[in-house]
Amino acid sequence: MKNISKKIYLALIILFLYLPIFVLIVASFNDSKILGNWDGFTLNWYRELFDNASIMNALKTTLILALLASIIATVLGTLACLTISKMKKSTRTIIMSITNIPMLNAEIVTALAFMLLFVGLGISLSFSTVLIAHVTFCIPYVVLNVMPKVSQMDNNMYEAALDLGATPFQAFYKVTIPEIMPGVLSGFLMSFTMSLDDFIITHFTRGSGIDTLSTKIYTSVRKGIQPEMYALSTILFVTVFVLLFLVNYGPSTKAKKSVTTFVFKSKMRVAMVTAVVLIFGVVGYFALKDDKNYIGDLYVYNWGEYIDPEVIELFEEETGYKVHYEEFETNEEMYAIIAKGARSYDVICPSDYMVEKMIQNELLAEIDYSNVPNLQYIGEQYMTSAEGFDPGNKYCVPYTWGTVGIMYNKTMVDDEVNSWSILFDEKYEGQILMQASVRDAYCVALSYLGYSINTLDEDELKEATDLLISQKPIVQAYVIDQVRDKMIKNAAALAVIYSGEAIYMQEENPNLEYVVPDEGSNVWIDGWVIPKDCQNKEAAEAWINFMCDPEIALMNFEYITYSTPNEASRELIEDEAIRNSQIAFPDDAVLSRCHVYNYLGKEGDELYDYYWTMVGGASSE
Amino acid sequence: MGNKLIDLQGISKSYGKHMVLDDLNLYIRENEFLTLLGPSGCGKTTTLRIIGGFESPDTGRVVFDGQDITNLPPNKRHLNTVFQKYALFTHMTIAENIAFGLKIKGKSKAYIDDKIKYALKLVNLDGFENRMADSLSGGQQQRIAIARAIVNEPKVLLLDEPLGALDLKLRQDMQYELIRLKNELGITFVFVTHDQEEALTMSDTIVVMNQGYIQQVGTPENIYNEPENAFVADFIGDSNIIPGTMIEDELVEFLGTKFKCVDKGFGNNKPVDVVIRPEDVELVTPDKGTIKGVVTHLIFKGVHYEMEVMANGYEWLVQSTKMSPVGTEVGIKVDPFNIQIMNKPESEDEEAVGVDE
Repeated sequence: MKNISKKIYLALIILFLYLPIFVLIVASFNDSKILGNWDGFTLNWYRELFDNASIMNALKTTLILALLASIIATVLGTLACLTISKMKKSTRTIIMSITNIPMLNAEIVTALAFMLLFVGLGISLSFSTVLIAHVTFCIPYVVLNVMPKVSQMDNNMYEAALDLGATPFQAFYKVTIPEIMPGVLSGFLMSFTMSLDDFIITHFTRGSGIDTLSTKIYTSVRKGIQPEMYALSTILFVTVFVLLFLVNYGPSTKAKKSVTTFVFKSKMRVAMVTAVVLIFGVVGYFALKDDKNYIGDLYVYNWGEYIDPEVIELFEEETGYKVHYEEFETNEEMYAIIAKGARSYDVICPSDYMVEKMIQNELLAEIDYSNVPNLQYIGEQYMTSAEGFDPGNKYCVPYTWGTVGIMYNKTMVDDEVNSWSILFDEKYEGQILMQASVRDAYCVALSYLGYSINTLDEDELKEATDLLISQKPIVQAYVIDQVRDKMIKNAAALAVIYSGEAIYMQEENPNLEYVVPDEGSNVWIDGWVIPKDCQNKEAAEAWINFMCDPEIALMNFEYITYSTPNEASRELIEDEAIRNSQIAFPDDAVLSRCHVYNYLGKEGDELYDYYWTMVGGASSE
Repeated sequence: MGNKLIDLQGISKSYGKHMVLDDLNLYIRENEFLTLLGPSGCGKTTTLRIIGGFESPDTGRVVFDGQDITNLPPNKRHLNTVFQKYALFTHMTIAENIAFGLKIKGKSKAYIDDKIKYALKLVNLDGFENRMADSLSGGQQQRIAIARAIVNEPKVLLLDEPLGALDLKLRQDMQYELIRLKNELGITFVFVTHDQEEALTMSDTIVVMNQGYIQQVGTPENIYNEPENAFVADFIGDSNIIPGTMIEDELVEFLGTKFKCVDKGFGNNKPVDVVIRPEDVELVTPDKGTIKGVVTHLIFKGVHYEMEVMANGYEWLVQSTKMSPVGTEVGIKVDPFNIQIMNKPESEDEEAVGVDE
């Protein structure tokens, strides 16, 4: 009896620990894009993963980074151990504690500290800064693994080698190193693993154009996590699992001989060298492949999943610029990076109100339109809308635009949907999804109440806040990404959503319908801007011009499904239904009742945040 | 025994403020089994390490076979060391361990294989070639360490407390083994130990050291029977060391009683220390003894009994094959030949000062 309960308990623990990973692995082989629908086994996501140049690029960076960081950390850590072991016992204890602390320190603290240090010293973030950070956090793991081996080693061993005629170098190479090799190997593997799956420190210390697998996965969540990411995560998990297995079972006492001989017997040595050469070979192939007709670098900072990757390749081929493409998840995250000067980019794609804020803070350079002849294809009305945040159209070229509206499921809602009021109807209790973003939430409430979506009037804001609070009991959830899956799977009846997502969702579930309510709403525009500290303005303008090319804009439209302001491009859309879609391209009446978000100033932002906290929207997820 | 092979001249060494060796002079002859004996911290291991080249002296010279090797690194010296904890290379097989020095010297494979066979046979471990070092017992590891050293055909083998980690029986076996090896190889052994019995058993020459100074150099018999000072007497075997006065040549007074002795030249009425080995104290009937006493303790030690006898305010240590029960009144008698007279040191410092040859 006792035995059975023990086994059940163990099974529960294992289930608890590994169920999430198991779900992830299953999802990576699922033919359906929708979580929870099993459409059969497929390897497609893995194929797409390996076809995706930016992911492969991130893989390359990750491997080089992990390899360099762990090699450097292993050398430094091992030498440190050899020195520490020669110290007095009291000093040694202190030094060992000091080296152990970084392992227990909160990673976010280490990450912030590094970023502050680099920015403070005026070192611009780059691959080297990530490498330095990785080496630093890997060293304690090397010391942890090597130190016991060094202490175990008979002090006289090195002297015995000298005594037998070895030079100090020979003694070190032939005796000391092999004796501590199992520890060194564990330390190396541990460092490699740590570096491989580190996210936080990498995220804070990487320079523009540097993406590792973990930062890549993180930034790609904006448009919902694509199944390739499940595949990638699965591969990461398996890799780390295997490495940890090697660390833990490799140099155990039982296998000690085989591991020590392992490294020093010629056969295994050959195998190791071959493996290293292979890794470098693959990496080198990618590196060389990139190098044809190179004329300069271009650093692009864009939303996640906000471009057709093929477009980047086309741009590189056509112009000869090497594109270092980076993604951000929110305007605020991007702003923090740019304003601090932590990383510099040549061209960025912020949203309307953020463009306004950046103009006010003098972070942007004026675009030389003589280098952007394709601007002629952008519709006049969009340039006019853009004047709402960029007076005189000096800084920003619209890239995508859309409205905020209501998506509803025709089979679940029988009322006519043309007003925000339906979101406050108790009839749909538990069927409503709200956007977990302050401006969009207030856009709903303020529009419904008939106020400006850019109001700074406290009474109006208070009223809107009360309205949102009173609405909370009937809201199923405040969400960002799950909205798509939930609506497609009929898990909710009504949702606040961006028009761009609506097209894609409608394709997946024809019962969904999109409406911009009569009270008016937000029209948003994301556009290309050039930061003041850009390194290659010519390349940035070439990029903007390229994005305005009708063919290219069409590729992007088809990939990201957000409306394009490119009139010529719209004409090229083959599918008539889409070309004339009221969702993608609503008529002027709809546009005229929509407004852009303005930058509210620091105090305005704080005011909205203050009330938003009272709603507690984000926390209800 | 031949010429001076190693000559240590005026060696001093200190670690920080701590003086380990002070102006040490010592020579080691060819084919000699010389033991450095002393308590821990006496400088014996440092002396060995200076010979081996692992430490360099602050002052003084190390002369080897007529050449000054003071600044020669260990790998250039024609001697090999057997370390206290053997220091076998655990990542190598026994054969690889033994071959290490020969491979470094670039010997041919055939030569090396021959040597490995020969060395393993010499230490009675044939067939151990492919074992790993840490799968062997302490005694076996010890022999491998010796084998690894001697294949290099050193002129001198330095042994740093090599038997310290072994149990008693194994230690005694290894003592004989070492003597046999030394005779077969015909090379010089410099042996470090704190175990006086080990030193007495194996050595041709014993160097007794204390606090960085040489206390006495001599053959085992010489050191045992005629310790030159109280330290040596106390350190080598058990002793009764009794303060006394040298009345005149061949007559000493201690514990209020005059004893005949054979020592001369200490002067008249000079304070001295008197050393009498416990086995040299004869217990007789009270009327036949020089002084009278009572047995206070009795222990059976196997080959003999050990007794403590209180006589004239001093507790005598006595070893005898004849037992006298506790409480027995006895007389104490000592053969004049067995009374060893030593100069009395005036201070602690003087006690440590060397009495070089």
